Amino acid sequence: MSRNGPLALGFHGLVVMFMMAPLVVVCLVAFTPENTLSLPTSGFSLRWFRAVFERADFIQAFYNSLILAFTAATLATLIAVPAALAISRYQFPGRNFFSALFLSPIIIPHLVLGVAMLRLFALMGVNGSFTWLMLAHVVIITPYVLRLVLAAAIGIDRSAEQAAESLGAGRFTLFRLVTLPMILPGVAGGWLLAFINSFDEVTLSIFVSSPATQTLPVRMYVYATESIDPMMAAVSALVIALTAAAMIVLDRVYGLDRVLVGKH
Amino acid sequence: MAFLQLNALSKRYGAVDAVVATDLAVEKGEFVSLLGPSGCGKTTTLQMIAGFVDVSAGQILLDGRDITHAKPASRGLGVVFQSYALFPHMTVRDNIAFGLKMRKVPAAEIAAKVKTVLELVRLAPHADRYPRELSGGQRQRVALARALVIEPPVLLLDEPLSNLDANLREEMQFEIRRIQHAVGITTLMVTHDQAEALSISDRVVVMQAGRVTQIDVPYKLYEHPRTRFISDFVGKANLLAGDYDARGIPQVRHAAGDGELVLSLRPEKIQLVGASEGRLQGQVLDRYFFGSQWLYRIHTALGEITVVRSNDGSAPLGCGAAVGLDWQAELLRVLTADEVHP
Repeated sequence: MSRNGPLALGFHGLVVMFMMAPLVVVCLVAFTPENTLSLPTSGFSLRWFRAVFERADFIQAFYNSLILAFTAATLATLIAVPAALAISRYQFPGRNFFSALFLSPIIIPHLVLGVAMLRLFALMGVNGSFTWLMLAHVVIITPYVLRLVLAAAIGIDRSAEQAAESLGAGRFTLFRLVTLPMILPGVAGGWLLAFINSFDEVTLSIFVSSPATQTLPVRMYVYATESIDPMMAAVSALVIALTAAAMIVLDRVYGLDRVLVGKH
Repeated sequence: MAFLQLNALSKRYGAVDAVVATDLAVEKGEFVSLLGPSGCGKTTTLQMIAGFVDVSAGQILLDGRDITHAKPASRGLGVVFQSYALFPHMTVRDNIAFGLKMRKVPAAEIAAKVKTVLELVRLAPHADRYPRELSGGQRQRVALARALVIEPPVLLLDEPLSNLDANLREEMQFEIRRIQHAVGITTLMVTHDQAEALSISDRVVVMQAGRVTQIDVPYKLYEHPRTRFISDFVGKANLLAGDYDARGIPQVRHAAGDGELVLSLRPEKIQLVGASEGRLQGQVLDRYFFGSQWLYRIHTALGEITVVRSNDGSAPLGCGAAVGLDWQAELLRVLTADEVHP
C-alpha cells in the first residue's frame, strides 16, 4: 500500500469537504426552530421532523418508495442471478449481447429513459400504474445487481460445484446448497445497492409516476419547486440517515471497496 | 475384466486432440497414477471418468457397467480436487456429511459414518471448524474424508498434493497411501510429480501429448523407461549414443557422432573412480549439495554427464578435479525411438 503525499491528502480533504458540506448543512438546518432555512440557527428543535410526520402525503410517498424499492430490487435480483450465472460460465450465442444489454441502462441518461418510458407507457395506456413504475425501476437497477453477482459468480471455486455433483447433488440442490451460499455476499450486496438506487431515484420517476404512485424523492422535488422551508431539510436528513444505514449494512455484508472500486 | 476400464477413450476440443484412444485397466483395490507434464491429457482423462467432461469417443466401464455418458451424480465416484473444493460455508462435519445427505442416509447413520471417517483422517477435533480455519494439509484431509465417506467404488485424486509445501507433501503422500490401504479402495491419481507417482502407486501410467506411452510398476518404470522422454521425465538420465557390440550387448560409443542406439544411464548408477581409471575420463565442472547427496556435472569426451553420489561422509570432489567414470554395462538402458511429438 503506497501512502499519499501531503498534496494528494489536501486534495482528498477538499473533495470530501465539498461533498460532505451540503449534507452536513442540510442535517443541521433540519433541527432549526425557525421558519426559514437559517444557519447558524437560534436553537435546537424537532418541530420540522414533527411536521414531516404530520404530512400524510409525505408518509404515503415514503411507503410508496419503500415498497417500490423493495419489490424492484427483489425482482432485479431474481433476473440478475440467473443472468450472471449464465454469463459467467457458459459460452452461448448472444452472450456478449445479453451482457451489454443488461448493463446498458447504466450508460443511458435517466432523463432519456424517463421520456422514452413516458411515451411508451402512454401508448400502452398504463401511465400511473405502480407495476409499470416498478418495472421501469427494475430496468435501471438490474445492472447494479448484475455487476456484483457477476463478480461473485466469477470468483467462486467451480470445482466445489463439481464436488457437489459427484457427491450426488442434482441441479437444484446444487444451486440451493452450494452455488447460492457461495455467491450470497454478492447477491445481498447487489440487492441492497439496487434498493438504495431505486429509493433515491428521481429523474426517471418524475416522468412515470402519478400522484397516486408518487415516490418520496418525487414528492420532495415537487414540494421544493413550490416552497423551501426547513421541512425539506428534515425529510432530506431522514433520507440521508436511511441511505447511510443501508450503506453501512452493505459495507458489512459485501464491502464498499468491492462495490465502488471493484477490489476483491 | 478389470474393475475400471477405459477403452480407446478420446477427447477432442475442436481441432485439438486432448486425449487420444487411451486404454487402461485398473484392478480392484489398485492405486494407479496418471503421470505427465501439464497439458498431456491426464486431467482431462480423470475428468472424463468423473463425468465433468463429455467423452468424444471410447468407453468407460466401471465394474462391467458402461458409465461413459452417465451424469456425475449417478456415477457415485469419490473425487478429490487440487483446490480441495470444500464448501466454504459449511463446517468440516457438514462438508463430509454432504454426500450422505444427498443419499438420504438417516441422521444417526450419517453421524456415525462421519465420526469414523474423521478418525480415519485424524481430524476428529476439528469437526466443527470451517475450511478457512484449517491448514492446507487439514483441508486436503477433509476433501479426502468427504470423498471416502460415501464409500465410492473408485477414488479419483486430481493433483491432490500440489498446493502443499514440500514437507507436508511428503507426509500427505504417506497419509494417502495409509488411508488407501486401510480402506482398500481402487484409486486413480493424476500428478505431474514423478517422485509422488513412484512413491505411492502400484502402477504408473505415463502420458504425453494425449497418449499413454508406458504403464508399469514404479521400479520397472524407473529402471526400464521405454522412451527418451520417459527416462528424462521420470528421474534424471544421461543420454548417450551407443551401438550393439559383437555379442549383441549395448555399449556406449566412444567416438563422437550419433550411434545406432540411444542409451540411458541413471546418474546414481555411475561410480566415480580415480583419474585415468574407469571407462571414461572427465573433469568436474560444478557440484551441488542436496544434503543426502552430491550432484556433480562432469565434462567428458561424450559431453556433459551428471553423476549423483550419496553423501557418505567422505570428502567431496572439488571443481576442476580430474576423475574417472565407471558403470556396469548391464545398467545401460536402450531407449526406443517411438517418441510422441506434440
